[in-house]
Amino acid sequence: MTTFRAASDVGGTFTDLVYYSVDEETAACGPVNATKTDTTPPNFERGVINSMRKASLSPADLSFFAHGTTVVINALTEKKGVKTALVTTKGFRDVLEIARGNRPDLFNFNFRKPKPFVERYLRAELDERVGYQGELLRGVDLEPLPKLLDYFRSHQVEAIAVCFLHSYASTENERLVVERIKQLWPEVSVLASHEISREWREYERTNTTVLAAYVHPIANRYIDSLEKQLHASGFRGKAFMMQSNGGIATVQAAKANPIAMVESGPASGIFAAAYLGKVIGEKNLIVLDIGGTTAKCALIEDGEVKVGTDYYIGKTRKNPGYPIQTPVTEIVEIGNGGGSIAWVDKGGKLHVGPQSAGADPGPAAYGKGGEEPTSTDANLALGRIDPNSFVGGEIEPDWGAVDRAFKPLRDRLGIDREALARGVIRIANANMTNALRLVSTNKGYDPRDFALIAFGGGGAMHAVALAEELKVPRVIVPVNSAVFSAWGMLLTDLRRDYLQTRPMPLGPANAPTVTDTFGSMIAQANKDYADEGIAASQITFEYHADMRYQGQEHTVKIALPIRRPEEPFEVDESIARFHDAHEQRYTYRLDTGVQLVNFHLVAVVSVPKPQLLPKPVTGRTLAQTSLPGRKVDFDKHGIHEAAIYDGLALEPGMTFKGPAVVQEPAVTLVVAPKHEVSVDGYGNYHVAISLED
Amino acid sequence: MTTDVFTMEIIKDALVAIGEEMFSAVIRTSMSPIIYETTDFAVGVTDAKGNLLGQGNGVTAFLATLDTAVQSVLEHYPAEGDIRPGDVIITNSPYAGGGTHLSDVVIVLPVFYADELIAFTVNKAHWTEVGGAQPGSVSTEATEIYQEGLHFRFLKLYEEGRLNRSLVQLIRDNVRLPDSTIGDMHAGVAAARVGGRRILELVNKYGCGELVSAMDSLLAYGERMTLVEMAKLPHGVYEAADVVEDDGLGNGPFTIKVKVSVNSEKMIADFSGTSCQAPGPVNCSYTGLVTGARCLFKAVTNPDIPANGGCFRPLEVVCPNGTLISACSPAPVSLYYESLIAAIDVMWKALAPVLPHCLSAGHQRSVGATFISGAHPETGDLYVMGEPLVGGWGASLGLDGDNGQFCCGNGETYNIPVELFESRYGLRVEQYAFNMEGGGAGQFRGGRGVITDYRVISDEAFLTYAASRTESRPWSLAGGSEGSTNYAQILRADGRVERFGMCTTVRAEKGELIRLTTANGGGYGSAEARELDAIEQDLLNGYVTPEQARREYGFAR
Repeated sequence: MTTFRAASDVGGTFTDLVYYSVDEETAACGPVNATKTDTTPPNFERGVINSMRKASLSPADLSFFAHGTTVVINALTEKKGVKTALVTTKGFRDVLEIARGNRPDLFNFNFRKPKPFVERYLRAELDERVGYQGELLRGVDLEPLPKLLDYFRSHQVEAIAVCFLHSYASTENERLVVERIKQLWPEVSVLASHEISREWREYERTNTTVLAAYVHPIANRYIDSLEKQLHASGFRGKAFMMQSNGGIATVQAAKANPIAMVESGPASGIFAAAYLGKVIGEKNLIVLDIGGTTAKCALIEDGEVKVGTDYYIGKTRKNPGYPIQTPVTEIVEIGNGGGSIAWVDKGGKLHVGPQSAGADPGPAAYGKGGEEPTSTDANLALGRIDPNSFVGGEIEPDWGAVDRAFKPLRDRLGIDREALARGVIRIANANMTNALRLVSTNKGYDPRDFALIAFGGGGAMHAVALAEELKVPRVIVPVNSAVFSAWGMLLTDLRRDYLQTRPMPLGPANAPTVTDTFGSMIAQANKDYADEGIAASQITFEYHADMRYQGQEHTVKIALPIRRPEEPFEVDESIARFHDAHEQRYTYRLDTGVQLVNFHLVAVVSVPKPQLLPKPVTGRTLAQTSLPGRKVDFDKHGIHEAAIYDGLALEPGMTFKGPAVVQEPAVTLVVAPKHEVSVDGYGNYHVAISLED
Repeated sequence: MTTDVFTMEIIKDALVAIGEEMFSAVIRTSMSPIIYETTDFAVGVTDAKGNLLGQGNGVTAFLATLDTAVQSVLEHYPAEGDIRPGDVIITNSPYAGGGTHLSDVVIVLPVFYADELIAFTVNKAHWTEVGGAQPGSVSTEATEIYQEGLHFRFLKLYEEGRLNRSLVQLIRDNVRLPDSTIGDMHAGVAAARVGGRRILELVNKYGCGELVSAMDSLLAYGERMTLVEMAKLPHGVYEAADVVEDDGLGNGPFTIKVKVSVNSEKMIADFSGTSCQAPGPVNCSYTGLVTGARCLFKAVTNPDIPANGGCFRPLEVVCPNGTLISACSPAPVSLYYESLIAAIDVMWKALAPVLPHCLSAGHQRSVGATFISGAHPETGDLYVMGEPLVGGWGASLGLDGDNGQFCCGNGETYNIPVELFESRYGLRVEQYAFNMEGGGAGQFRGGRGVITDYRVISDEAFLTYAASRTESRPWSLAGGSEGSTNYAQILRADGRVERFGMCTTVRAEKGELIRLTTANGGGYGSAEARELDAIEQDLLNGYVTPEQARREYGFAR
């Protein structure tokens, strides 16, 4: 019997669906297919069902379905969550509003920080106290609760967040309050901080809990409705939700902790890159995903995607944003994509982005009313994009609109169209180079030790020029690079991150405590998975710790040398790893004592994945893949008659040098002179960058 | 060549990015929490003449300290060949360019291409220790600079690449935490070298001539952008005066005066008439004053573009020598930032009435630096807690003031989470809540200050506290009410309450409470004009008590 495994990702503009068939007897997989349909707000689940219809898939055929949604992040950024109240420790209700007191907009003397998600009148205090070692100083006084809940009811509160000081260390008081609220008011949505985060920093944890409560009913309604529609259409498989940590969770787990879905989209491309890297033997990767509006950068070291809890929404150079203490893939995102608009400021300086023409009206060349020049228009003007197969051949470029869009800037700067186009691309590349430096050189990594893997609609177009700039020796453009992120959704495993703050000096005396702490975290993971019908034998664990030198503030995350949790903990090796990691990150090591601050356990349950299919070799020659040549402007490398190749026709083992352009319906790989391209067994492009100038 | 426009843009952006890269290099390499947590440092690049090209800041209060340091270096080494490739210069002199207090040490690295001096990279960071009478080199009681630590005046730390080992040993032998201090020194040199390397990469890539003209073009761009904004400023002459209450030795109050003249090409800030320098350590140097004036100038021109020397060409700062904000040797200067912030504030106060969309009413105007030390009850180890305090900001046309923010001299400064605080120090935090004293009423209400309560749980603890606005109040605008004051208290076991504006190592016993209160900000517009809805909302939220609503707003339900 053949079933299908599918994943869908709801974006701002499009809903992507990727799927492949599996023969349930032989486990043989078919090729991965993808479709795009319009996103359908506010009933996003309709777009999901539409995308299946377009792919001629019935939910009844699906054995596995993973789903990524922006419903959480949308509710937060548009402030469309439910009315939320906070219950916190006596004396501390203003923590949520004071926040951290920082003012990134240094010279703004009329600054206002972002408003808290719970107004002061709905921030209530209860008398209770836990000490920093988790000791109970005062049990919680529940007496005022009934009156307090009446007050909340009278203000139409729909969700309550409970966060007490030091509850990462002792959860007892929070548990008692939640229990009592559930008895007194079963309909209200209530979340305690320890269910969402077990890390210290009361402002960050409180804010996270508040935001989780704020979206909790909405996320639950959304997931319920999706499940209902799927089941009504005959779905009998298992549904999973994409998480910010790059894994998936059962719908049950996602409903209990909705804030973990806050960044479900961007991570899948990064994990796909890590997965592909393992297959093709590239474990150190700088990852670049260029879409229509933004470019995303990340770094993979030794095959590991970095996941941390230092995440913010709405944070900019001027705005401190809102922290969310939930595990999120570490990504730097900048407002530079194919649709980014070029403009000149009052002082005559040319900028590209962060405003984007998006998909509608899109770049001027789309002829859909875009009046401003974008990166895509510039690439078209330079001959890098083939005008004959613009947007996969679906659109005839509107050259008149391109000229009109460039005109005001040309007049302003007194230059011709091509010079302006080169300038736009150079500035866009400089922006992306800076972002790539943030994830590499600025964190102590040397780009020469990495390969650059580029995907998304614009990844292949810019990757080679960026690699030259950063001195990265190799560029990899994966097969199907335009839908690479979507493909990544089928590669994600079930994943739960457990973080626990328990600061302790790391030495032989504390080794048993380390073992015990991980032991109880493992027990919790086993129990959580068991509740979802997953046996302990299916779970694999990774052990990390956030460590620092005594007296320091910042920590460094390291992988601990634990193979089997019951074996004695290797203190010396762990400390040695910390010293190395600290030196890499911060350039020095100290003789000072080392402190373990956060325990971080990753519990993964592997799911079957589509096989990477070898690209067939038919014996076709390179010449047979070539398309009519054209003049392409390679900026500092000059204007050349470039060889143009049909990417779909290229075969494994083929090699050629720039000046060249490889074209697929939604991908353009631009290769300046001297660099050498080879096609591997799966059809991925590898570009060896010639670094002599 | 038509493409030059863009090459120029990219070089300019690269110069600004060097500032940012050096900023993260300092955070990465420093061993001192005050540097990597409080970001009490700045890094920058100047051209060969000391014109600021780009600067990375964690706090506002270092804005004029980098380029002026380089300019003073050039004055100290005027002849050709005085500065050579491989030299690194160190200075912390408060009375010359770059000067603030001795704890803030400047490292200057000249960048040569072949034999031509083309640029400088420079940084200034607060070292944890530079010696002197008090641990941490900050005193509220110093009477001369000699009590405040080691004083370096434009010394060569490296000469043509060779480290001056005698100087390093001298530093090492005269500070309390030599490893940390020497570590901070190397961090500064390392960051400056990162910037130097980047500049040479730009030369290699684009050519020396291109780079130098990009520098000039960057400065011109800064000036052009600023002049666009200056044209929008209301031209005229604006005056204000205010006070700093205490110099730490009980002298005062000291007056700061300003007359700001604005036309479309120039802003002149004349501080003549300010009190003479003080016997105690609240003095600020002329460089500090220029920083203050630049901060306010930037706030009213274009806070968006990165600061460079061109932006400040239209600003002139006038002040005779020897005042509280242009102090001369050997005036003590540990607490210079209180007067610097007061200088920013007085210029702010002069201009706010005519720029109500851009400047709010007066804020708490004090770092409120608080140090508490004692023996940790768990480990017995000595702890020293040091922190700045958040307070209330003023209201402005259309907006209530912000509640609980660090003062204008800070910036990317973070408070210490209670949960971390309690694990480190022998104190239990019992309250971190808005200050419900009155003040700041108006059509738009001043922001709330904050009350922080520390219960002493070690056998004893010692409080050092330094603030201004301890008797004077944050000013109001357009008929609003003034805010309230900053102060520290110790609530004694026997019920007595002691109050301080400045104090050094006052003992508190186990079980006693140290309470820190920061000011509420000033109000904007008359209280009668406040909308009823807004008052009702304030009552609901408890930003205003029913009694205050009645008394300050005449509100009765």
